[in-house]
Amino acid sequence: MQGSTRRAGIMTDVHRRFLQLMMTHGVLEEWDVRRLQKHCYKVHDRNATMEKLEDFINNINSVLESLYIEIKKGVTEDDGRPIYALVNLATTSVSKMATDFAENELDLFRKALELIIDSDTGFASSTNILNLVDQLKGKKMRKKDAEQVLQKFVQNKWLIEEGEFTLHGRAILEMEHYIRETYPDAVKICNICHSLLIQGQSCETCGIRMHLPCVAKYFQSNSEPRCPHCNDYWPHQVPEVFDPEKERETGISKSNKKVLAVQAALVVPAEGSLPGGLPAAALSEREASVFPVPRTTSLFFTFMVNIFGINRS
Amino acid sequence: MLQKQGRGRSGAQGDRDRGWSRDGDSRTPRGSIAEEAPSTSRGSSGTQEAPGASSQGPRRSQTAPSVGPRTQKQLELKVAELVQFLLIKDQRKIPIKRTDILKHVVGDYKDIFSDLLKLAAERLQYVFGYKLVELEPKSNTYILVNTLDPVEEDAEVRGDQGTPTTGLLMIVLGLIFMKGNTIKETEVWDFLRRLGVYPTKKHLIFGDPKKLITEDFVRQRYLEYRRIPHTDPVDYELQWGPRTNLETSKMKVLKFVAKIHNQDPKDWPAQYCEALADEESRAKPEPSGPAPSS
Repeated sequence: MQGSTRRAGIMTDVHRRFLQLMMTHGVLEEWDVRRLQKHCYKVHDRNATMEKLEDFINNINSVLESLYIEIKKGVTEDDGRPIYALVNLATTSVSKMATDFAENELDLFRKALELIIDSDTGFASSTNILNLVDQLKGKKMRKKDAEQVLQKFVQNKWLIEEGEFTLHGRAILEMEHYIRETYPDAVKICNICHSLLIQGQSCETCGIRMHLPCVAKYFQSNSEPRCPHCNDYWPHQVPEVFDPEKERETGISKSNKKVLAVQAALVVPAEGSLPGGLPAAALSEREASVFPVPRTTSLFFTFMVNIFGINRS
Repeated sequence: MLQKQGRGRSGAQGDRDRGWSRDGDSRTPRGSIAEEAPSTSRGSSGTQEAPGASSQGPRRSQTAPSVGPRTQKQLELKVAELVQFLLIKDQRKIPIKRTDILKHVVGDYKDIFSDLLKLAAERLQYVFGYKLVELEPKSNTYILVNTLDPVEEDAEVRGDQGTPTTGLLMIVLGLIFMKGNTIKETEVWDFLRRLGVYPTKKHLIFGDPKKLITEDFVRQRYLEYRRIPHTDPVDYELQWGPRTNLETSKMKVLKFVAKIHNQDPKDWPAQYCEALADEESRAKPEPSGPAPSS
């Protein structure tokens, strides 16, 4: 990686604030990324023309390159939403300190990951994962505790739970390279985009697989979808192509809903109030003028590096 | 020990010098080192022997004799590791000890520790807007301070809604300052009771307020918690900790208090004067640079 040959971009406070706030999420949908970019321009450079998002991100990435970090763009496997995640590009022994997870917890994730990759659907059931609890490295874990750990993974956006568990888009972005290298036989690849496939549709005749968003794009406005490989009739319902405009009409993105819900939860009135009559709702974080370094809960990349010893260049 | 001429990048470093410029200056090395492919696998196995580069005798007595020169890529990776380490460690709000840095990251590169740390600090500042500062002079422990000012609207776009405890911290900091920079623990609870926050009762948002105030905030160095001698029942006093002075200021806290009361900071003349004096002393240039003391 010749970082010296490409001239790195310039960081301004707009970019820095963006990066700081991006780090508090770890992974963001494009809609929210645009919103974040707009916010940062508003704070620091109101009159400037906002850079195109792609250029904005590329600019930051060129600076992050020497730190072996990148803001990577991907697409959710279920409905084709564009997402951006902060990923690590190199393995470091440092990462061993990064994780808030114990050895057995990390091993639980590894087990879940393997079940997900081996499965036909890309999902692993809670039961199947929990049955492996006895095989975990490290301290003995009870099934009850394992359930909590799985929930932690969901909260941290490493797994998604929809009845069963599958990988979050963020995990896929981060770990694709590792997964392809480690499980070359079990891994599934999309016939259209040739990227790692965890969940998707498959041809019942020849077995090729495609991501749902890839199916949507490929068969768009095609009344008789046929398998690109064996030409047999495609037996599944073709999903709709993701339309960001439609999203805007409803006014709210998936992740945005969560943000508002959490904020509402914070503003809980207490019994008393401060002298002057202002209710304790003012105690929400917005009033705080101590601005610590934003909690980088998103250091997912370090977690990945830690348990898997990813070796990437 | 490396000879440091101010910037520590003087010619005595020789071949290591070429790797340091941020824009990837590809000057030819002065020493005879082969340019190796980036080893992004294990940061700790970065050292390599190059013929004749070790034991340079009296002229290079300041370089570690058994360690060969390193490639630009290895150094870059080491700085990247250090930056990540500092970010991760600071996330937990516990000051980062120099010994930990040496042990977990720098390792074989300890001969150039100061330079690595300085470079990491530069990257943290330039890329993220975080300043690496020593918690107290000569303490050899560091924290990251945000050089970007908080903005109310940040809260709407943040991902981690999980620090509502900052609100409680601000109240306590405000109390301490308004009461003359020190306050008894009993006074704190007398006040917080009016907000429905009790030392013994679990709080919906703050969880265990007693633990937060007397342990967590203290460990994070926002507060100092000291026993008052000869008190029966035993009482403690609370004061601002070193992190508070680095992350915020008397004036900012006074403004916060004033805002809550819907008044002007000048309505508290004594505290306002004190805050002003504090601002003035901050405006004076620091005697030592932000770089870590060796």
